[in-house]
Amino acid sequence: MYIIIIGCGRLGSMLAEDLSDSGHNISIVDREAKNLATLGSGFNGLRIKGIEFDNDILIEAGIKNADYIISATPDDNINITVALIAKRIFQVPRIIARINDPKKKRVYDGLGIETINPTELSVYILKSRIEENPK
Amino acid sequence: MKSIIIGGGKIGSNLLKTLKDRGYDVTLIEKDENICRKIANDLDADIICGDGSDLAVLNDAGINNADIIAAVTGKDEENLVICQIAKMEFQINKSIARVNYPKNIAMFKALGVNETVCSTEVIANLIEYEFDSDICKIIQTFDRGAMILVEVIIKEDSRWLDCFIRDLELPGESVIAAVLRGEKVIYPRGDTQILLNDSVHLITNKITFLKIKDYMQAGGISHAKKKK
Repeated sequence: MYIIIIGCGRLGSMLAEDLSDSGHNISIVDREAKNLATLGSGFNGLRIKGIEFDNDILIEAGIKNADYIISATPDDNINITVALIAKRIFQVPRIIARINDPKKKRVYDGLGIETINPTELSVYILKSRIEENPK
Repeated sequence: MKSIIIGGGKIGSNLLKTLKDRGYDVTLIEKDENICRKIANDLDADIICGDGSDLAVLNDAGINNADIIAAVTGKDEENLVICQIAKMEFQINKSIARVNYPKNIAMFKALGVNETVCSTEVIANLIEYEFDSDICKIIQTFDRGAMILVEVIIKEDSRWLDCFIRDLELPGESVIAAVLRGEKVIYPRGDTQILLNDSVHLITNKITFLKIKDYMQAGGISHAKKKK
């Protein structure tokens, strides 16, 4: 599958390397060159440095042919903007955005953007582990 | 009228002052606490320190009763999201976004934010205006040059001097909207004659403007006596 990942932080870079190792075509976008440099030399996807929601950058990343776009920057407003562009302008088949501030979930929901909420997931896992082992 | 400004930078704080002076009910939202304090020291205004793209903060600011929202932060993505929230969650139809990078204007439009102000573009246009020749000047640009208002000052050597409107050879995509003669506004008809020192206002687009400019500059003295 052709997958675009927006944001090369801890989540973005790890996801990019993992998906790439599994044989998917990956292009990853980040405005900071040093973030892109954290990807190992083994990563053979496309690295693009630029503003994440810039039209030309997204086209360079192959948004017109992408099967998936994952918006995983640490800024909710960037994630929402990228998701809206992918959805309404380029009609990318599947879009998943990362929620950073759980309070913003309602905004993503209202705009019809599929999300993953790492904070909520961590809370859920921690809580269930604590309750499984009450001692 | 109730309005909310998001972003307390130079544009936001000056807008707050202007709207307050005109007697509007206005609330400002700004993230940075120091900036909030500074504005609060200068002005007796409603200021909320918080994230303008947060629903709870917008509720505090009274968005439910707001008639107009101005998102003027330095980040385009933030301004876009605020306008989307205003529309989706609070059914506010009148929201204005500041666009910092002119390139993003098209994206804002495509995502349904029609009212945008791009200070970068405005300044670039003003400078361009000053550079324009004395004969033809762009006064106002609409929709990134899709439509422009041009002023043509009629001098002694102008090709249009003493001509009647009906005899002017104008390119297709242009129309004479008004003629200013001193303080008087003349609404041109075919039998309106263009006189010395008139200021002729045309509506056209950027491409046609260049043609008109070339035509006027190619005029010269030899055409001055050409009367109809």
